[in-house]
Amino acid sequence: MRGSDSSRRFSQALTFGAALALYAAGAQGAGTPIPHGTLELVAENRWVTPGHGFSLGLHFQLESGWHIYWVNPGDSGEPPRVTWQLPPGLNPGEIEWPAPRRLRTSSIVDFGYEDTVMLIVPVHAETSLAAQPIARLGAEIRVLVCREMCIPGRTQLSLTLPVKSRPPAPDVRTRELFAAARKDLPRPAPQNWKFSVDEAKDSFVLAANPGAQIRQAVFFPLAEVQIDNSAPQILQPLATGFRLTLRKSDQLLKPIKRLKGVLVLSGNQAYLIDAPVSKRGAQKNDSTSRIHKIQSSREEPQK
Amino acid sequence: MKRSTLYSILVAVVICTAPLLVVAARVGQAAPDFTATASNGKTSHLFDYRGKYVVLEWHNNGCPYVGKHYKSGNMQRLQKQWTGRNVVWFTIISSAPGKQGYVTASEENEYLAKMQAAPTAALLDPTGEIGHLYDAKTSPQMVVINPEGVVIYDGAIDDKPTTDLSDIAGATNYVNLALEQAMAGKQVQTPATRPYGCSVKYPGSAY
Repeated sequence: MRGSDSSRRFSQALTFGAALALYAAGAQGAGTPIPHGTLELVAENRWVTPGHGFSLGLHFQLESGWHIYWVNPGDSGEPPRVTWQLPPGLNPGEIEWPAPRRLRTSSIVDFGYEDTVMLIVPVHAETSLAAQPIARLGAEIRVLVCREMCIPGRTQLSLTLPVKSRPPAPDVRTRELFAAARKDLPRPAPQNWKFSVDEAKDSFVLAANPGAQIRQAVFFPLAEVQIDNSAPQILQPLATGFRLTLRKSDQLLKPIKRLKGVLVLSGNQAYLIDAPVSKRGAQKNDSTSRIHKIQSSREEPQK
Repeated sequence: MKRSTLYSILVAVVICTAPLLVVAARVGQAAPDFTATASNGKTSHLFDYRGKYVVLEWHNNGCPYVGKHYKSGNMQRLQKQWTGRNVVWFTIISSAPGKQGYVTASEENEYLAKMQAAPTAALLDPTGEIGHLYDAKTSPQMVVINPEGVVIYDGAIDDKPTTDLSDIAGATNYVNLALEQAMAGKQVQTPATRPYGCSVKYPGSAY
């Protein structure tokens, strides 16, 4: 009698403990396993408000030494790809990519993220969504996780959010996560910095005038095969700005009209760059040559 | 004794870094020459194949992007198709000893037999010298050289940079395009692309 009583109490304690663990897991983010890490789909708001936008996050946590890729992966690898399964009335936007890091292995330079990163995806909820009490969000993610070797992963994520006509309210459990992720997003570069890109025979020279001397600058091209990823980027600090010489990619055979990418100054200030390429320094001015369209990012597979 | 050890280390460093200083192959320019030992024990010398089209295929049997093209039989089909049309096909393995994809000659011969692969030869490049000469970034990176010894294609095998076998069916194969266009006397329409895949596991890779 006493035995069964204590065992009942024990099982109650177990249930309580399990419930606590589940709650804690929900609060801290229990990720779905991916190769050498976890991935979780999180929402910035507690519910979906029809007629409003909100943000979702793909929160990657990787084991030490492993990395995933930026939208332009650099010399090898591939970026994560998302196929959304959303109810009608929820429209996902493009992934907002934080500034990447240069990941060098021997003569190869990749662009990506180590340790932990969150990719933010803005979503717009149409007013038609109001007819549903809840929204079931699904996403199939394909991700390549690399260290010395690469392991492709494919995982299914899901998240259920209530639909309410009340004004949007942030979820305290994900507030810091989103705030930290937004800090790493590149911002539009101030117009008065006067960015210019001069094309020479073997290089592009990116120059700007932010009003202060710049001692550290790294450029990440949005399009593949424009610059040589592994070549050193040569910084020339000027009194109120800088010149950054970027070696052209050997695979760049046609002229480009604009140079787009992310410029990271002083290690942590990331700016979006979209500057026209002038041929002032070019050897010949071939105005008849066709300008080929910049592929700003890989197309998402439509499935 | 000590001095000679130091000297041999210095010599080794110079030898190891020398290939990095060589100007890499570029589309429209002469393909750099090389001599290599194949897994079948024979020595292959690129310049001996003047007068023929030559395909270079960077290989690493542990790379999932390479796996996509071998498990599907796509690479073997290409090898048979083009060697059947008198094209020379070299599979090149530039993985350093101890790194992913490194194989001994007998291991490579076993792999070729198991996969029913049909290159002209599989060249062993454990020092990465040929890889650096062609600035090979990934496996499977593909290079096509014309009978005059000029690089006419350098880049990806196709336009689907994924590890999914199901992506092969709808892909545009750049090697086929380059060879078909060049053999028809036409300009190669897409002579350079970003090579996709796993980084080549050269000696001294950080990780």
